[in-house]
Amino acid sequence: MQKYLLRRGLFALGTVIGVSLIVFVVLRILPGDPLVALLGVEGHSKMTPADRAIIMKDLGLSDSLPVQYVRWLRDIATGQLGKSFFRGDTVRDLILHRGPLSAEIAILALIISWVVGLPVGILSAIRPNGTADAITRFFSILFIAVPNFWLSMLLVLALLFWFGYKSPIMVVQLWENPAQNLQIIIGPAIVLGLAQGAYIARMSRSCLLEVIREDYVRTARAKGAVERAVVLRHALPNALLPVVTISGVLLGFVLGGSVAVEQAFGVPGLGRALVTAIIERDIIVVQNLVLLYALIFVGVNVLVDLSYAWLDPRIRYQ
Amino acid sequence: MADPVPHSRRSFLKSLGVAGAAAGVAPAFLRGRAQAQDFQLKALDPAAKPGGTLRFGILNAPAHFDVHQSGTIANLGPQAPMYDLLIRRDPRDGNTIIPDLAYKWDVAPDGKRYTFHLRKGVKFHDGAEMTSADMKATYDRIVRPPKGVVIPRSSLFTAVGDIVTPDAYTIEFRLTEPRPRAFMLGAFASGWNIVVRKKSLDDNGGNLRQVMNFPGTGPFRHVSRKDKEVWIQEKNPNYWNKGLPYLDRLEIYNLPPFSPELGSSFLSGKVDYARIMDPVSWRKAKEMPGVTATAMNQSVIQAYFFNMKRKPFADPRVRRALHLATDRHVMVDVVKDTAPMQVGGFVYPFHEWSAPKAELEKRLGYQKDPKAAIQEAKKLMAAAGYPNGLKNLDFVVRDLASFKLWAVAIQAMLKENLNVESNLRVVQTSQWFEEAGSGNFDLAISAIVSSLMDPSDYFTAWYGKGGPQNYSGWTNEEFHTLAHNLEREVDESKRKAMIPRAEEILENDPPLVPVAWEQIYDAFYNRVRGQNATKFFGIYDVTRWDTVWMAQS
Repeated sequence: MQKYLLRRGLFALGTVIGVSLIVFVVLRILPGDPLVALLGVEGHSKMTPADRAIIMKDLGLSDSLPVQYVRWLRDIATGQLGKSFFRGDTVRDLILHRGPLSAEIAILALIISWVVGLPVGILSAIRPNGTADAITRFFSILFIAVPNFWLSMLLVLALLFWFGYKSPIMVVQLWENPAQNLQIIIGPAIVLGLAQGAYIARMSRSCLLEVIREDYVRTARAKGAVERAVVLRHALPNALLPVVTISGVLLGFVLGGSVAVEQAFGVPGLGRALVTAIIERDIIVVQNLVLLYALIFVGVNVLVDLSYAWLDPRIRYQ
Repeated sequence: MADPVPHSRRSFLKSLGVAGAAAGVAPAFLRGRAQAQDFQLKALDPAAKPGGTLRFGILNAPAHFDVHQSGTIANLGPQAPMYDLLIRRDPRDGNTIIPDLAYKWDVAPDGKRYTFHLRKGVKFHDGAEMTSADMKATYDRIVRPPKGVVIPRSSLFTAVGDIVTPDAYTIEFRLTEPRPRAFMLGAFASGWNIVVRKKSLDDNGGNLRQVMNFPGTGPFRHVSRKDKEVWIQEKNPNYWNKGLPYLDRLEIYNLPPFSPELGSSFLSGKVDYARIMDPVSWRKAKEMPGVTATAMNQSVIQAYFFNMKRKPFADPRVRRALHLATDRHVMVDVVKDTAPMQVGGFVYPFHEWSAPKAELEKRLGYQKDPKAAIQEAKKLMAAAGYPNGLKNLDFVVRDLASFKLWAVAIQAMLKENLNVESNLRVVQTSQWFEEAGSGNFDLAISAIVSSLMDPSDYFTAWYGKGGPQNYSGWTNEEFHTLAHNLEREVDESKRKAMIPRAEEILENDPPLVPVAWEQIYDAFYNRVRGQNATKFFGIYDVTRWDTVWMAQS
């Protein structure tokens, strides 16, 4: 087990370092001048080469790439994560302020995906090729096919016309005002949750259909167990393993999707901060947020791997 | 030659319009003249009362905090209320130049020396007294920024030689050559030139980009700020202008220009005053009871540029042909739900020196029926050797909604009218300037701005040889000579007489194609009093909220 953990941990670390190198290099070779956002259109047009050299030095962009990379690692080690090019705010403060909203959206979306996806998958599997199965499969494919940002825009318009929904103009934390906080996160969570719920419904249906034909399920039925107990107690736990696996992968989609969905709903979370930073070419903010997303994604997948043994006692880590 | 206080009483009364209003206003001015040294501003309405909170929606996500180095409302919107200027535009009409930290000023008869007399007892928010040393530090920096500090308005002060302070409350600007008085006073009154403490500059190596709360002398003081959300300020109880500000508190929310967030926040009553609204929300606001929706002219021209280094565009006939083939009335219509615009030529269309609208619309290129202009454009293309048009032009487009809409429309117009084929290349703003700066384009669409309405500002910046916003790389010796003379001529009537010739040169040898001139839509609930933005030139000079008051808290 310890060996497995060590191996898994090293692999995760390698992945994160790989991501950090890619994002670090890509951000520095992409076209576009970060000084446009810093100085504005008029100021940028009046900047002399000498001014440019000084400002680039102030921002740390005139150092060699290895020096910049080591400085970034040092900032990560100190927990400050570096400062925004522009206002000088630390990325840590940005994450602490906006991160909770994005985390709530991701967790709620995951809950919605399970709450909606699993019953739909079970319903679909216990009466395969029936009317309920056809309807649930239609909606599953629909929600998989529809892009998140488009569904978000539709939902925003519907909420606007029917309920007078207005996008939030401030971050409201859960502990400050739970009701207002829920108003902010519920829309994005539903959009992201339904899309992931569709995957879970599809996966749980196919896994359950396989398991339901196993001998031990037939035995349970032969022993006179009611159908509900057969499905929920005997078949479902064994069918869940691939569903749990896909949930880890889906969290990646939730994180990626939240960038567009937060933007569509006007939610001031980390996804929106990332979009703004990309537009401003605030390299320090972008590289730290991408790394954070990568860390979460890798971390969740390690946890998913470790959960296999808990879900299926036959699995042993070596 | 002493300047009366306020600077232009006649123009102010004219702008107010009605005789009745003038009768009510005149006593206030007479007081101001009689007590020039104690000139104090107050709201026009005698019912103005203190108290209340104004929730203001504006772009409030500055890239940095150094107002001098900025060119965006993201700085002035939230920061201007905390600072004062040397002299200012009257917030009640937006135009008249009135005292601010200088209570009076003198201009030497030869126009080469400006002396400002500063108020005594003005305190910065940290308690230090404002003296001429602070004013000199502020203007030394604006006029001649240190290395690594870029101040877009420095070019307004190129004639300023020495800045001297004979005593703690006097500052003198000595010019190396004369400049028109209106131009210079307009430059001093620019909203960007906030007065900062010398100590703030000294402590930060002359760079305030990452200093969020450097002390000002303004009517409001910093309380708190959440990045890209809200900046909260409170009344400065020690403000030198007794009775101002009326408001107890300002809450400035980050709501981007033309965004649905801004429109919906205003329409749902989350903010009391919205600036730079999208036309759709603004039209809804206009129909709402208890709401006033206003429009003002903005200091921005939307245009597309030619790469003069590439062969077809070195020929003025080709450039004029493209200029004539661009239907400006359609351009305004294309973006009518995205951003408010108006038709104009090469000079601010609302400036008193430019061709009046009726006259402009008789000219080729500005007529509502474009047939004659297109015929002329075809002739010009044929004469230039391109009767069959041009192929594969690289048209670089800034990734903003209005530019993308226009680019598609221009592409279609040029193809249909002149058989000029172009490929659109949409790029992020940061990349657009790289492409434009390195000449990697045939056509490129963007917006350019000026600080003043006076042509001497933008004739240099937009059309000047090597001008910072002359992205076409255009040159025309006759025009440059004329612009040089215009900048140095102090007789306003002679300056005005130069404009028609300048326009003629620009029409026939276009440095760019004017697409549209921007407008700004504001809306506010009628409980907000004391602000009339209809006469403002742009959104940068009057943003302090000191004469604004709330009819209901």
